[in-house]
Amino acid sequence: MKNLKITLWVSLAILMLPLDLSAKNKADKDAWNYQYEIQCAGTGVDGTYMVKVWFYSKSKKITVEQAGKVAVHGVVFKGVTGGLQGCPSQPALMRDPVGKEAHKDYFQKFFAENGDYAKYVLSVSPSVERVKVKGQWKLGAVVQVAKDQLRKDLEAAGIIKGLSSGF
Amino acid sequence: MKRFFVFVFAFVACVAGLFGQARKPTLMVVPSDVWCNQNGYVTTYDNQGSEVVVPDYKKAFQNSPDLLLVIGKINTLMADRGFPLKNLETVLRSIEQTTAQNNLISSSTSGSGLAESPLDRIRQVAQADIILQLTWTVNKNGPKSYVTYNLQGLDAYTNKQIAGAQGSGEPSMTADVPVLLEEAVLANMDNFTARLQSYFDDLFANGREVAVTIRVFDNGSGLNLDQDYDGYALSEIIDEWMYNNTVEHRFSKLGGSENYINYEQVRIPLYNTRGMAMDTEGFVRELRRYLLKEPYNIDSKVIPMGLGSATLILGEK
Repeated sequence: MKNLKITLWVSLAILMLPLDLSAKNKADKDAWNYQYEIQCAGTGVDGTYMVKVWFYSKSKKITVEQAGKVAVHGVVFKGVTGGLQGCPSQPALMRDPVGKEAHKDYFQKFFAENGDYAKYVLSVSPSVERVKVKGQWKLGAVVQVAKDQLRKDLEAAGIIKGLSSGF
Repeated sequence: MKRFFVFVFAFVACVAGLFGQARKPTLMVVPSDVWCNQNGYVTTYDNQGSEVVVPDYKKAFQNSPDLLLVIGKINTLMADRGFPLKNLETVLRSIEQTTAQNNLISSSTSGSGLAESPLDRIRQVAQADIILQLTWTVNKNGPKSYVTYNLQGLDAYTNKQIAGAQGSGEPSMTADVPVLLEEAVLANMDNFTARLQSYFDDLFANGREVAVTIRVFDNGSGLNLDQDYDGYALSEIIDEWMYNNTVEHRFSKLGGSENYINYEQVRIPLYNTRGMAMDTEGFVRELRRYLLKEPYNIDSKVIPMGLGSATLILGEK
């Protein structure tokens, strides 16, 4: 009887594993596809941005990967909108309007699970804000992004132009 | 023999690389006249009865550690982007040293000093192509302090503002002024460089925007810009040359008479027909060569004023 119970539990755990992975993938997909907002959350230390990201998810739980991916994506493509006094808006690193499409393969790999984007996420605040909006959750977290290193690496990879390129 | 070919190949590659790159503009951070005036770093002199107030940069550098901090921070951030700036304090010191040395140099045989025209002295001072004009004020809001910061990128030749970043920092009760200033620089630098990048993109797409002046030597030859060649005035011939040699025929004639023409917003190509990097001096030298040929046979003198301005004086060299 005891052996039967253990077998049942193990079987159930094995059956649940794909569901858990699928939920994680779903959460990642949410972060990539859904709308998000990115706002200045303070002046970070030299070479970093402190940004507050708001994004939508079916899940109430927030993962470091989700918040980090959205923050890095926003710094690269969207730019940061201004916050309170002393928190100005910041331009996107990729200002070429066709750059995202032109380097699609690079960015798919960059933002993939365990992709290079994670290198530039320095911290994600443990406190998360949650708002229920029409059957889904709007999640907010403060993320610190190493924007200078990100810019340098994108320049070195030929994805964005440096200030002195051409001279 | 193999080594010789490798050497020749490397040399050609280096030369091609040098020719293939546009000339890099020089940038320098300068405190604004307003800031110098507000902080008392000015000198006053009498110019034929009218009092003229000019900034005293040397005094500012000797007395304001905050200025050194802000300029140092901007220099570091720009160097980090592969664009090191000229340091105004070092430039001022260098000019002083050079002047002192030049005053002491004399020939051992005749004892004569160095030849230097007043124009040479002015040219030595005109050091940067883009001036980063810096202003900040420390404001009080009750017990809190905050900094209002303004950085303007000014083209030294067209006098246009090509980049800028302005804003007020977060009010703080505890932070010192240097900390507030550092925060202001960090918060605004990316916006500034993004606008500077847009200016450089425009420069690569539409050519460098420069100013060209044509003047005539009063040497008694009777040459002036109204002189006719096949029914066309010399000024019209120069206009046509400008039309044919500017990028997409872009130039503005600001004004002129029989003695001068001022051209502004002249878009010159970054490279000449041989693929070499070109500045305004090179562009005006092409015009000089054109006027030297038949049927004009006009000799002239080119006076460059940095990367983006040059004067062609017709009549003699």
